[in-house]
Amino acid sequence: MGRIENRIRRLRFDHDEMTQEELANRAGCTRQTIIALEQKKYVPSIELAFRVARAFGVPLEEVFQYENDN
Amino acid sequence: MAPLQKRALYSFVIGLVLTIALIAVLIARGDVNAFERDPNLRIIMYAVLIGVPLVYLILVNITLRKPTQVDERDRLIIERSSRAQWLAVIFSLVAWTIALSEIYRDQGQVPIAFLNLIFMSSLIISTLAQSLGILVGYWRMNRNG
Repeated sequence: MGRIENRIRRLRFDHDEMTQEELANRAGCTRQTIIALEQKKYVPSIELAFRVARAFGVPLEEVFQYENDN
Repeated sequence: MAPLQKRALYSFVIGLVLTIALIAVLIARGDVNAFERDPNLRIIMYAVLIGVPLVYLILVNITLRKPTQVDERDRLIIERSSRAQWLAVIFSLVAWTIALSEIYRDQGQVPIAFLNLIFMSSLIISTLAQSLGILVGYWRMNRNG
C-alpha cells in the first residue's frame, strides 16, 4: 500500500508565504481542507489536486507524490 | 472549526432543545392525548411538522451551494453521516412499533396522537443523528485522516 505525500506547505512558503485562506480561495475549497492536506490527514480528489497545483502554477507531480511503501 | 462543523453543532443543540421542549410539553399536559384535545396545540404541531422539514431543506441547500463553506471533504462527511441518520431513524421507528404494539395490543388500536409524536421524534432523531454523524466525522478525519 502506498501513500500520497504533498509539498503544499513548502510551495505556500515559496509563493510569498501564501496564506492557507488564499490558497483555499484559489483552489475552491475551505481553509480546513488545506490544513487537513498539509497535515496529510486527507487525500484530495484528482480534481482538487489539479486545482491546488494550478493555484501554484506548477504541474500536479510537483505538489503531490505517490510514495510506495515497498 | 469548519463552517459545516459549526452548523452541525448548532443543529445538535437545537435538536436537543426541541427534544427537551417536546418532553416538557408532554409532562405539562399530562398525557399524549392532550395534543388531540387542544386544537391550538394541534395547529402548532402541524405548523412545526411542515415548517421544520422546509426550513431544513432550505438551509441545507443554501449551505451546500456555497463552495467556500462546503467542499468535497465536507460532502464526504455529509454522505457518511447520512448512514448514521438513516439507521437512527429506522431504529427509532422499530422502537415505536414494538412499544406501541405491546402497550396497545389489548385495545387493538393506537391513539391517533401518536402519529404526530412518531413523526416529530423521527424529525428530531434525524437532525440529531446527522449532526452527531457530521461532528464524529470531523473528529475521526482529524484524528485518523
